[in-house]
Amino acid sequence: MKRDRERKKDQNTSSSSSMHPTKAKEMNHSLPDSGGMDELLEVLGYKVKSTDMADVAQKLEQLEMVMGDDGVLQLSDTVHYNPSDLSGWVQSMLSELNTSCNDVVLGGECSSGNMIDFGGDKVVANNDPYDLSVIPGGAIYGSTTEESRVIKRMRSEDVSSDMMPPESPRPVVLVDSQEAGIRLVHTLMACAEAVQQDNMKLADALVKHVGILAAAQAGAMGKVATYFAGALAQRIYKIYPKDGLETSCWEILQMHFYESSPYLKFAHFTANQAILEAFAGATRVHVVDFSLNQGMQWPALMQALALRPGGPPTFRLTGVGPPQPDNTDALQQVGWKLAQLAETIGVQFEFRGFVANSLADIDASMLDIKPSEVEVVAVNSVFEMHRLLARPGAVDKVLDSIKAMKPKIVTLVEQESNHNGAVFLDRFNEALHYYSTMFDSLESSALSQPMSQDLVMSEVYLGRQICNIVASEGTDRVERHETLTQWRTRMNSSGFEPVHLGSNAFKQASMLLALFAGGDGYRVEENDGCLMLGWHTRPLIATSAWKPSGIES
Amino acid sequence: MLNDHIDILIEILQKLDGRSLSTAACVCKQWHAIVRNDSLWEHLCFGKMSLTPSLGVRSVVTSLGGYRRLYMLCVRPVVTRLKKRRVNNGETELVKRVWDKREAELSLSLFCVEYYERLFSDGGEPTAKSLKFLCTTVNVGM
Repeated sequence: MKRDRERKKDQNTSSSSSMHPTKAKEMNHSLPDSGGMDELLEVLGYKVKSTDMADVAQKLEQLEMVMGDDGVLQLSDTVHYNPSDLSGWVQSMLSELNTSCNDVVLGGECSSGNMIDFGGDKVVANNDPYDLSVIPGGAIYGSTTEESRVIKRMRSEDVSSDMMPPESPRPVVLVDSQEAGIRLVHTLMACAEAVQQDNMKLADALVKHVGILAAAQAGAMGKVATYFAGALAQRIYKIYPKDGLETSCWEILQMHFYESSPYLKFAHFTANQAILEAFAGATRVHVVDFSLNQGMQWPALMQALALRPGGPPTFRLTGVGPPQPDNTDALQQVGWKLAQLAETIGVQFEFRGFVANSLADIDASMLDIKPSEVEVVAVNSVFEMHRLLARPGAVDKVLDSIKAMKPKIVTLVEQESNHNGAVFLDRFNEALHYYSTMFDSLESSALSQPMSQDLVMSEVYLGRQICNIVASEGTDRVERHETLTQWRTRMNSSGFEPVHLGSNAFKQASMLLALFAGGDGYRVEENDGCLMLGWHTRPLIATSAWKPSGIES
Repeated sequence: MLNDHIDILIEILQKLDGRSLSTAACVCKQWHAIVRNDSLWEHLCFGKMSLTPSLGVRSVVTSLGGYRRLYMLCVRPVVTRLKKRRVNNGETELVKRVWDKREAELSLSLFCVEYYERLFSDGGEPTAKSLKFLCTTVNVGM
């Protein structure tokens, strides 16, 4: 790279003496016709117009000056600003860009020894303060006590005064990737804040910029940012696409998510362990599953029941699922497959499927619940209950229905994050942290090659959740995740008491995670009788078990 | 000739690990037939366990595909993975220990999930994807 720059410099210095436009044209004519492109550079794969050569060389020089030998931005004096006033910072940044100092930044005439001074008291002279032409170096991330701004000092000694400044400053994205990642996050957050304040013009400008930054960012961070940027764009432009994805497609996506990461497996195994323990000694058992999907949770439970000492009980499963667009009876198909399995392993099995738009449409009387002396009931919900929070009163109705079923145990698995706050910006920030961690964990599993189908599908699956959290409102916003603490409060006040998941569940979960190749980052944590699966220090999903208060266990 | 004393041959084969058993199956037609006998693989799966599994296990495993399949798909990868214990400095070391009941139960559960998943593909795929996570990955030079 350096040699090329020097070569360009040489070319430049040789042509700088002949910068006269007519001379430049002459030079063009003297070269063989290469469409106006510089021939030498074209050999290397760079398409640069001969007429642009001086310009490009100048920019490269200045970039090089600013970056220094090791590619790190030259940090000089910093100025402190109020870190919590993100939009004020962006505003002042933009206003500065449009004053006379504008053309100093990266390419353009500048007087020697100029420092770009982001004093906040400059008046906006330009009538379009949202013209994001250049974004200079961003804030230093990490310390919560101060966010300092980098000021680039332009070393202008090498800039020869006979260089022509360009017509207008062109955007240049600097290459230090760590800083780029930080800037990406900050721009995302600034955009969300603009949306929060209903400043759609600013938000529009910022979201476009996020798109550029995200595309340049490699790895999990870039992907997450792309999904969040897309969701923000939908919110800003008020595009709410009808949920185009068929339910069956969604189930396929979830299957890929099931296969490529331990989250669903963890959920199934821990819930099953609690149910198995609750079913000890029973001869007839009934599971009401609010999250049947493909029924992947139940083979393992059925196998454990088949092999328990004393033989298996009669196993009845009631599955609840959403209506299928093509009217196929997906639930019955699942039931049929489970029946085949049951027959193979010698378990007496009965299945009933219920199609419902919402869990609140089901009540206990529909389910043919037998008295508790005859049949032991378990209710299971994996990543479903939070959807009820979109409609007022729905979750209470469902919890009452559950109590009416007189279950011995209720297993609840939910995302461990609050994406249901009243303030949009809070939801956004929570979701950004949560899904960044999630994407990170998917990316790091050695199982997935960078562009493997499972990984991509899993990300699409999560991306839909992101879109719903950020772009939807009202009854459309169904991904209303809440933390374990919030669910605990709700369950306790609705007449349920906790059932502790035992050490068996913990050990089995730990063992399951140990099987995941490259999954060194996954952590199982016990939290007052509940189990949480997380990535490094961040818990991501939580399993808890409950029973109606006052029922003997 | 060893082949005249099948019972001794089986005694010897029972001492082998999975890899050697598979190699033994390639020796000759007679050995191939003997090694395919599922009871050898049952011995491999549960013979060294601290607790012998209940009688019901055999019928369940057989109907889900047999002990050889169980070994290949679940037991071998599970044991291999769990044998590696992380030491404090981040390295892994191999720990020789007897396979325990809990690991056996987990393997059986995974085996059952795999059987179930195959039901969906109508016999198209030989191994369902739910066990993909147990496969060792090949690091294609990054």
